[in-house]
Amino acid sequence: MTTSRRSLFAGASALAAAGLLDHLPGRAARAAERAGTLKVALLGLDTSDPHRHTGSIAVQQVYVEGLTSIADDGRAIPYLAESWRIENEGRRYVFRIREGVRFHNGRVMTAEDVKANAERVRDRIGRGWLSAPMKLVTRLEAPDARSFVMEMSEPYGPLLNLLSELWIVAPESEGWGGTIRQPIGTGPFRFTRWVPNELFRGEAHDGYWQAGLPRAEAVEFVLRDMDDPSLALRAGDLHIARARFAALPELRADPNIEIQFMKDTTWYFWSFNNRRPRPPFDRVKVREAIAYAMDKPGLMRLIAGEAGVVTNQMAAPGQFYWDEAIHAADRHAAPDLDRARAILRAEGVEPARTPLRIVSWQTDYAQAAAQAMRSLGFQVEHIALDDLGAQRRLNQYDWDLAPFASGPRADIFLRFIRMLSDGPNVGLWGGPQDPAFDALVKRAVAATDLAQRRALYLDAWRHAMDRYWTVVIGHAAEAIANRREVTGWRPGFTWGANRVDGGLAFARIG
Amino acid sequence: MPEAPLPTRHVAEAVAAPAASRASPWRRPLLLLALAGLFALVGPWIAPQDPLWQDLAARNLPPQPGAWLGTDNLGRDVLSRLLAGARITVLVAGGATALALAVGAGLGLAALAAGALPAALVFGLIDMIRALPSVLLGLALMVALGTGVGPVTIAIGLSFAPTFAVVARQAWLRERQAAYVEAAVASGTHPAVILRRHIAPNVAGALITQAAIILPRAVTTESVLSFLGLGVSPETPTWGRMIAAGLPFVERAPHAVLAPVVALSLLTLVLAVAGDHIRAAADPLRRGTG
Repeated sequence: MTTSRRSLFAGASALAAAGLLDHLPGRAARAAERAGTLKVALLGLDTSDPHRHTGSIAVQQVYVEGLTSIADDGRAIPYLAESWRIENEGRRYVFRIREGVRFHNGRVMTAEDVKANAERVRDRIGRGWLSAPMKLVTRLEAPDARSFVMEMSEPYGPLLNLLSELWIVAPESEGWGGTIRQPIGTGPFRFTRWVPNELFRGEAHDGYWQAGLPRAEAVEFVLRDMDDPSLALRAGDLHIARARFAALPELRADPNIEIQFMKDTTWYFWSFNNRRPRPPFDRVKVREAIAYAMDKPGLMRLIAGEAGVVTNQMAAPGQFYWDEAIHAADRHAAPDLDRARAILRAEGVEPARTPLRIVSWQTDYAQAAAQAMRSLGFQVEHIALDDLGAQRRLNQYDWDLAPFASGPRADIFLRFIRMLSDGPNVGLWGGPQDPAFDALVKRAVAATDLAQRRALYLDAWRHAMDRYWTVVIGHAAEAIANRREVTGWRPGFTWGANRVDGGLAFARIG
Repeated sequence: MPEAPLPTRHVAEAVAAPAASRASPWRRPLLLLALAGLFALVGPWIAPQDPLWQDLAARNLPPQPGAWLGTDNLGRDVLSRLLAGARITVLVAGGATALALAVGAGLGLAALAAGALPAALVFGLIDMIRALPSVLLGLALMVALGTGVGPVTIAIGLSFAPTFAVVARQAWLRERQAAYVEAAVASGTHPAVILRRHIAPNVAGALITQAAIILPRAVTTESVLSFLGLGVSPETPTWGRMIAAGLPFVERAPHAVLAPVVALSLLTLVLAVAGDHIRAAADPLRRGTG
């Protein structure tokens, strides 16, 4: 056979093989089971580089996955790592990498890829939730294709939970050396098209490692800043959407809509300026008086209706890090304006002569908090801004009170981190800088025993409570509504749109 | 035989009705403006409740005795907020219009009096600014100036100032060609004196007419900005904010949105009708056609 005929024969064979591939039983079955494009509106997407996200994690998890996933009860469970063992009193983690996981370009993921991602986050990113644990990493190894080893300078309790957000991207992804522009992940959908602040489209990954998934041909996220996507959901323009509490009554009345709730909660609080407090709000007794003026049950009803619960801790009732005794001892579970005024008198504070500056988002409960301060007689100046504007203003520390909220997180540490002296975006919590508090949190993080870790976290929280850094109003789980023709979908512990045991890969239309 | 010359504005005035009845075309528009102003002025005083007072146990109540237009999502009385909001809306719109007139016309006339080159530069810049929609311009100014009644008034006023500059220029160019101005120039009268004594008073009519057109637009611009959450503080009861705050609950409490929408529509209508009458009164040639 001549060269040209050999080439022709090889080419024809390849073409035939490619054609046959589509008719292999597995691929054909997967393609046949898939139907439709899921239209979703949750949160936004702030970057195409999964390692550089600034907090919005709802979209990434359809195209990238981590070693661990967060279960409904907040525990870390296996994902791209099928198992792990912890050695050397919490200083050494050995992960067994799942076999046969393919990137979107068809290449099989190995431990070396995991190591490359960990190195990138540690050496090139240097900020975000993972920056704290990555600073403790002393060694990263991939002794074989299925083993990945992390050695830490000290034990770090939240590591497994935080690894749920160390997403594994193929190092050959475009922009790996700088900012990844086209991430090649392992998720059920590919990074097909992204129009910032407009749309993300991900088409099904044919080689996805979980058999039979995904069940949709594609997913489209609406990334526009929709104040209320419930109307689009009710009209059928969306399949799954974040449901504002204000829209729940109308959604519940719609027979085509099903409402589910995330497993972790958003916690609502107000913080005092703890970085450069202005008199008289630098005094604990004055802060106590303000806490007595706040109608926590009324505020939670305003915020979340029946879906809200009042408490005084950053963990929600029933969660592992929540404490019944601390909850029962809440002196501010109901408002007491008389007591508030008495304390202010005893402290020599004349509210009518005292300006009080409030910085907040443009929310109703912030206005209610402002009104509570007016009812005490303070001269209230209320500055309501958007998210970025509020963060910038808070960082000026020329305010007195800040009613805010913060959403679900993969680990309780990601709430405590916001009150550390060198924590990220600490403005919402008044920016306290207290070495004693930092030390308590650090000890909690290093505790390998869960009960001990819980006790230390609670000590740290009592430390913050006694100083009235932040006063918790309550908690409410975010609602996510879906049209009833979408089955197999359920929200998880956090905003992540996909997990190993649930999420958009499992959603079917019709 | 030559045709009789077309009546000039001055001739038209000379043959107009006797002096005693010359004020009558202004009566109707001034009455309308006075009514709007009075409503805005006394609104907060006749409000049945404190417009800021919240009753979290009485949220989104329908119109009923004691809350004639119902309550909003924070349990605040809609009628009281409507009345209080009228003052802010009228004050901001009126103040912005006056500012726009003073700054725009002042800058425009000063540039024209200064000479051809300054006029060309100033009006070139003004033409560029005019290419932007006034709401967008107001938005950009708000970001720079911050929040509050003062900043929003300044922002809206500055966004409309170019319009007054252009009207002033058109009136200037028309009056510059008048015979009495040519006579003053020929007699060596100082340009500033010509401006002050001869041109400005006759330009005033055009500017007042323009103010009548701008005033309702300033009302809607203020409402748009406050709807977007800009301008005054969130508790301040402006009609735009009331609409924005009521929208998430429009199915449950439509009254909280309808009340400010109707009020805004009525005020804009009243001001537009007043503006029509003012235009007719200011321009005798249009009298009877407004």
